[in-house]
Amino acid sequence: MKRQQPFLSTGGVTPPSVNLSPGAQRITNASVPAFALIPMLQHAGTPASCLVRPGDRVQEGMLIGKADGARSANVHSSIPGTVVRVDRRAGADGTVSVAALVELGGEFDRTGKPRATNDWEKLSRSDLLARIRAAGVVGLGGGLVPTHIKLARQPGRQVAFLIANGIECEPSLYADVSLMRERSREIVTGMRICQKILEAANVVLVIGQPSEEELIPFFKEAFDDIARGFQMIGVSARYPQGHEELVRASVLAHAASNGVAHDGSECVVLNVATLFAVYEAVAFDRPLIERCVTVTGGAVRRPGVLKVRVGTRVGDLFEECGGLSEAPGKIVLGGPMRGASISSLDFPVTKGVSGVMAFTQAEARTGPELPCIRCGACVEACPWGLVPTRLHKLIQRGDVTAALAEGLSSCTECGCCSFACPSRIPLADSLRRGKRSGALSNNG
Amino acid sequence: MNGPSTRSGGLFRNNPVAVMLVGLCPAAAVTGRVIDALWMSAGLILVLLLTRLSLEILKAFSFPGSGTGHMTDWLSLLFLASCFTASFELVLGAFAPDESAGLGIYAPLIAVNCIVLDRLAGRGSQEPAGPGEIGRSLGQASGLGAGFALSLIVISLIRETLGSGTITLFPIGSFGGTIAVGGISLAPARALVYAGGGLLCLGYLAGAARLVRRVKGAERA
Amino acid sequence: MAEPHPDVASPPALAVSPAPHLRGLVSSARLNWSVACCLLPAAAWGVFLFGLPALRVLGMAAGVSLLAELITSLAWGRITVRDGSAMVTGLLVGMLMPPGVPLYVPAAASAFGIMVVKQSFGGLGRNWMNPALGGVVFALFSWSDSMSRWLPVRGAGSAVAPLAALRDAFAGGKAGSGGLLAVLGAHGYPWSATDGRVVTWVNDHVLSLLGASLPRGVFDMLVGTVPGGIGEISVPLLLIGAAYLIVRRVIRWQVPVTYLVTFCVAAQLFGGLPMGRGWLAGGVLFQLFSGSLVLGAFFMATDPVTSPLTLRGNLILAASLGVLTFFLRYFGTLGDGVPLAILLGNAVAPLIDRFTQPRVRSAGKGVIG
Repeated sequence: MKRQQPFLSTGGVTPPSVNLSPGAQRITNASVPAFALIPMLQHAGTPASCLVRPGDRVQEGMLIGKADGARSANVHSSIPGTVVRVDRRAGADGTVSVAALVELGGEFDRTGKPRATNDWEKLSRSDLLARIRAAGVVGLGGGLVPTHIKLARQPGRQVAFLIANGIECEPSLYADVSLMRERSREIVTGMRICQKILEAANVVLVIGQPSEEELIPFFKEAFDDIARGFQMIGVSARYPQGHEELVRASVLAHAASNGVAHDGSECVVLNVATLFAVYEAVAFDRPLIERCVTVTGGAVRRPGVLKVRVGTRVGDLFEECGGLSEAPGKIVLGGPMRGASISSLDFPVTKGVSGVMAFTQAEARTGPELPCIRCGACVEACPWGLVPTRLHKLIQRGDVTAALAEGLSSCTECGCCSFACPSRIPLADSLRRGKRSGALSNNG
Repeated sequence: MNGPSTRSGGLFRNNPVAVMLVGLCPAAAVTGRVIDALWMSAGLILVLLLTRLSLEILKAFSFPGSGTGHMTDWLSLLFLASCFTASFELVLGAFAPDESAGLGIYAPLIAVNCIVLDRLAGRGSQEPAGPGEIGRSLGQASGLGAGFALSLIVISLIRETLGSGTITLFPIGSFGGTIAVGGISLAPARALVYAGGGLLCLGYLAGAARLVRRVKGAERA
Repeated sequence: MAEPHPDVASPPALAVSPAPHLRGLVSSARLNWSVACCLLPAAAWGVFLFGLPALRVLGMAAGVSLLAELITSLAWGRITVRDGSAMVTGLLVGMLMPPGVPLYVPAAASAFGIMVVKQSFGGLGRNWMNPALGGVVFALFSWSDSMSRWLPVRGAGSAVAPLAALRDAFAGGKAGSGGLLAVLGAHGYPWSATDGRVVTWVNDHVLSLLGASLPRGVFDMLVGTVPGGIGEISVPLLLIGAAYLIVRRVIRWQVPVTYLVTFCVAAQLFGGLPMGRGWLAGGVLFQLFSGSLVLGAFFMATDPVTSPLTLRGNLILAASLGVLTFFLRYFGTLGDGVPLAILLGNAVAPLIDRFTQPRVRSAGKGVIG
């Protein structure tokens, strides 16, 4: 497998990250929470409609929210017990949705019990899709698009690439890497399942270098055993190389450098954690009720990778990792560059939470905002060739149309510009708001 | 129809840049010395008043070219302004050649500024000419001219004081005409006497005027 | 109703702010203060050579600059002295002044630079002209005779800066041949004894092998024991300061290098004078070490506020500056073409920006979902 010239040949930044030792990277099971707060909206689309009421008894893995509409996903209870409360709550990003609070009680149906294995190879495409949909699998790399929508192939359109994104999305996060190390076969089987559904011309696994070099042998072996014809390419992993758009661009660039032009090709990019969930859903009928989460940050005593049930309280996770060494300055759900900061430790871990970070007071301080000194650091950092300082000024003036004309729609909100800016100008936030208002005005 | 009038409204009245650009030349050129600015202002006010008076008289006799917004309007204004400016130049050159040399080639600009200010004065009034109308019109013109003069004098005061260390006025009796200003005359900042310095002063004056207008507007609101 | 009892109570005062939650280490204030610190060695050398007058000029320039910034920023309701840009401006103004200049000149230059060139346009980041250079050029045009009040170096020597002496030499018709430094030598410019010893040693032991020879005066000009502006004469100290800034990525090394290389190429090509023996006859070296070229290339052409945004734009600007500086020096009347060239470059920078916008790459089209 040859080292790939990254698409990210310009731009990108190298933020400081909390490095975990190999021992800390091993996935350990978090304790089952006493209370699980399970929102009906854990995906990109319309919220599921809640099927339970206070007082109902639920089982582990039981459907408690039914997908409502075309762009929706099922929601299952991650613990057995009784529904204590169903009310509307604000998520980490501020959107309000219905959430069910389940109190632990009763017997576990799945945990600790032997699993029934399906021979997925005998299932038809529609069966496979149905199982994935029933399990409520959504994109776990951050996009949160319901996977059955991503895998629904348009009739008559050939998918050129099925891409498994093995590059860790953000610095300091290790869940994907750990999953790749410990469950490589399952992930490859997940790729095979998706390939059966999509019938893509090529299947590619993208691995970040040099951080994930050691994983290559695992996958090579798996490919040789069960997935001949799958390809693997390595991409120099500088942030934000792990983002979906850049992964796609890298694969296409790699194909182009091999003489195969694939402009405008249909690509389906799936995170390795999603592929693992697909495998579990299809092979064991297991709904998406838990995921691997990196618990890290300067204020965490023993950072590590935990397998966490959906609905677990963030504060409890910190407890499992040795507690907080000091009063934290900031808590972030997700990664440090794109995650959402939350106002208390009472937020639940949802399907989209790949990491939970506790920053110290010192780390959370950013310093005063100074005027733009036109240093060009943001231009250098932007992977898409935008000029963030100029777009920021246009958006401040209210001229979103001009900003869109200068390429605002290419912004993937990676946050590199804000990171690089020495004047601490909130460029990424400004561009984000510009994009939102641009989208609003487009939608009338 | 008010053809040229509306067009000229867009060109001059509502277009501050055009007005400022046209006014820049004398503001930068003749404000090097106070005396030059004084003569320029005097010339401008004189020509402006005379032109206005002549146009009003023409209107009183309903001569073509004195109405509202015809091409002949422009021609008569141009003609009158040029004539009076040329006369002023010749008279000044004859009786005060030094001062005329001070104005130099910028003296004819009086005509240009006269035309601009005259148009700015607003030709909205359709009233028939009469002594009251003439008086109002002359008053408006002299007001505009005085405003222009004031700006020129202020700029020239600053420029000459800081840039040459002197203030040049009319020689009266034993007074030579040049006042040397204290310490600055030893080492004046000559950059202000150059055109760049003049533009700088003009810019600040315009900014100050805008500030005053905004403060006044805020007070009234 | 049972409520979850958190074992860890929610801590007070959690910062909630939009992503990203990490920031690069460097801040604009620190950038400015680094530049100010890196200017100090060269400024100290000037004070060492010219004594108390130089210190007074520097102090006046820096002091008035800070004061002007304080006053104008108070008028806006906030104090911006902390961002360090006024300090840099003040130091640069002081360093470009001849040491014998009367104190109102650096004061006026600093005040002009801060109040007119920077604050009138909106403060930090909004000025199109380098404030220090704006002030210095204002002083150059306003008090041109004062701006040539060179002082002799401690000890002996002449009290005329090399560039000015060169102009006199050409005006006096004693041009002769053999490179610019030779011309100065013929004109009787007093180089120090150390210079004589070093140059002779280098010529005999090193350069004779290459068939070249250095003329007298190179060492003096390099080290900086010649009259000149307070901070512009010592090339090694300026380079040390600049090296620190480059290593810490405060300034881009490509810009000053391109500037100087282009300048040297232009000087070599269009110098016009016969170049004497070998290729080190001194025309290029003289030009390189005289006036504020090194100071301008490393500390003023790299000013982020007045430079293009992209590296490509900066390289274009730097190359233009090199050519422009040479032509202004060769054909202009003011002697040192650097301040004017950089100001012209400042004026052209937005245009360069417009034509060197990076190409926007579009994010995923064709990514499903």
